[in-house]
Amino acid sequence: MNKKKPEAATGAGNGAEKGSGRDTGQGSKQQPFRFKGLKLLGFVVLLYGGSYLWDASRALKSLEGFAHVLGTLIPILIVVTFLTALINLFIDPKSLARHLGAESGIKGWMIALSAGVVSHGPMYAWYPMIQGLREKGARDGLLIAFFYARAVKVALLPMMVAYFGLTFTVVLTVLTLLAAWGQGVVMDRIVHR
Amino acid sequence: MHSFLNALKKAAKNMLSMTPMILAIVGLVGLFQGFVTREMLASLFGGNPVIDTLIGTFAGMIAVGQAMISYILGGELLDQGVSLYAVAAFVLAWVTLGIVQLPMEIEVFGGRFVLYRNVLAFVSTILVATAAAGVTLWLA
Repeated sequence: MNKKKPEAATGAGNGAEKGSGRDTGQGSKQQPFRFKGLKLLGFVVLLYGGSYLWDASRALKSLEGFAHVLGTLIPILIVVTFLTALINLFIDPKSLARHLGAESGIKGWMIALSAGVVSHGPMYAWYPMIQGLREKGARDGLLIAFFYARAVKVALLPMMVAYFGLTFTVVLTVLTLLAAWGQGVVMDRIVHR
Repeated sequence: MHSFLNALKKAAKNMLSMTPMILAIVGLVGLFQGFVTREMLASLFGGNPVIDTLIGTFAGMIAVGQAMISYILGGELLDQGVSLYAVAAFVLAWVTLGIVQLPMEIEVFGGRFVLYRNVLAFVSTILVATAAAGVTLWLA
């Protein structure tokens, strides 16, 4: 567990952990390029090979599913890459700490929750950008609130009403946002303990 | 402009380094879609609302795909008599929890952050699903 250090007031160094790749970005050497997840990818390729031997038609259906998901994911990854570049260029750790760091207050919660609600695509597409914000000093509590608020999909609300009714949709949406905020508060307490 | 290109190059390089991980996760999503049928999911639920809520949460954690699919599956599960508690947990866990993306999440954020995030999300999912279904049934 991290002790709160003086620099944590700006968010920098807050929650730093080994293996997370988190740092303040100041004075750190650039990491050499390396692909992440090669072993996992190899394992998945083997799974496809094994599943083809077991049931070729289902394996081909899986491959179709893979191609379809990848096709929908690529535009999102391009958008995330652009957003990451803009964040790196225009948002310095000091100003980010003001909006998403220790002193961000209610504004930080509003940004995290609304960003979670409007963000599209699968959660893992957002990991690089979120980690970038984290390295610049964004609070872990706000990031956790962002991730949980993603359960609210504005574009899909009419569909949810059609399947589960208006009452359920409204109650679930409100409780989800409250839970996202609550998780963020708990996470902030854990980090600062 | 030059500095933006530099920032874009850095961001693209970062994204490129994650390509194998993203391809692996998408590969697992494809396998799930190819091998796990709706009937398999429906057969998991036994009729006990408490146990079914837990099963719904775990099924949502394992299941992957667009949120829209979870609504369609959830609607079908309701039609088959599965409780609203379980379906609420299933729909919520589908979006907020994910076994498949855990390796990438740990690689990017580190184990401790991921552990806290998932434990908090798991507990919240059960509480929110139970409360949302309870209030809905009470108001009905």
